[in-house]
Amino acid sequence: MAEVGKIRIKLPQSIKKGEVIPVRALIIHPMETGLRKDKDGKPIPAYYINDVKVYYGDELITSMEWTIAVSADPFMTFYVKADKAAPLKIVYKDNKGGIFEESVQINPQ
Amino acid sequence: MKQKEESVELSRRQFIKTTIAASTSFLIAGSLPSLVKKAFSETPVEEKIDDVLKRHFGNRKIETAHVDLKAPIIAENGAVVPITVVSDLPMEKDNYVKKIYIYSEGNLQPYVASAELSPANGKAELALRIKMRKTSNVRAVLETNTGKLYQGLKSVKVTIGGCGG
Repeated sequence: MAEVGKIRIKLPQSIKKGEVIPVRALIIHPMETGLRKDKDGKPIPAYYINDVKVYYGDELITSMEWTIAVSADPFMTFYVKADKAAPLKIVYKDNKGGIFEESVQINPQ
Repeated sequence: MKQKEESVELSRRQFIKTTIAASTSFLIAGSLPSLVKKAFSETPVEEKIDDVLKRHFGNRKIETAHVDLKAPIIAENGAVVPITVVSDLPMEKDNYVKKIYIYSEGNLQPYVASAELSPANGKAELALRIKMRKTSNVRAVLETNTGKLYQGLKSVKVTIGGCGG
């Protein structure tokens, strides 16, 4: 569990200015539903990411609400119009107050 | 006489219904203690897709168009079902897809996730891996900045359910 919150963001290798590019992002997180029980029959408490925000430079471009039905180690792909050189930052928050973030630089040619 | 029989029949049916409902809630309340009771007050433990849609969109009309939902026909593992929501709708300054909602209709709580987009996304597309409890429809609803609603559905056969418990 030591890895919880580890994030990997992947951009295309070369980006042209104005191009709409896919952003692939993975975060390590158990996404426990709260509906499962451990082997002693005790319920495992819900532990999941419920809020995701994506910033491009200073601009909040996408925000998501997630429930327990997003798979463990959530992996997503969304798109960004690469019209400026700026960092792309993703901030994940979970129901236990955990905050995890990672940035990558977008440098359109 | 016939009328009387009918009413007896009806009340018996009703009796069975109420008994089942009562015993089910007993089971739920009895077997899972405080945790569930607490959850009860916040979100319902079980919700039907129609109720979720009503909660999210009221009685607004949802047109089945402009949404291409990509999902596997058969998902061997319901815990990880990759889906992609694609739309041909524009992402321009004053004309864009504002929100994407994703539902897995066979889950106890069908609402999976939603994403608020902006023209800076350049494209109304989102891929996510979701959990599916059983064979059912996956549904995506898109809301435009002008308040129009569009949806797409796809049936996914789930071999092993993915919600546990």
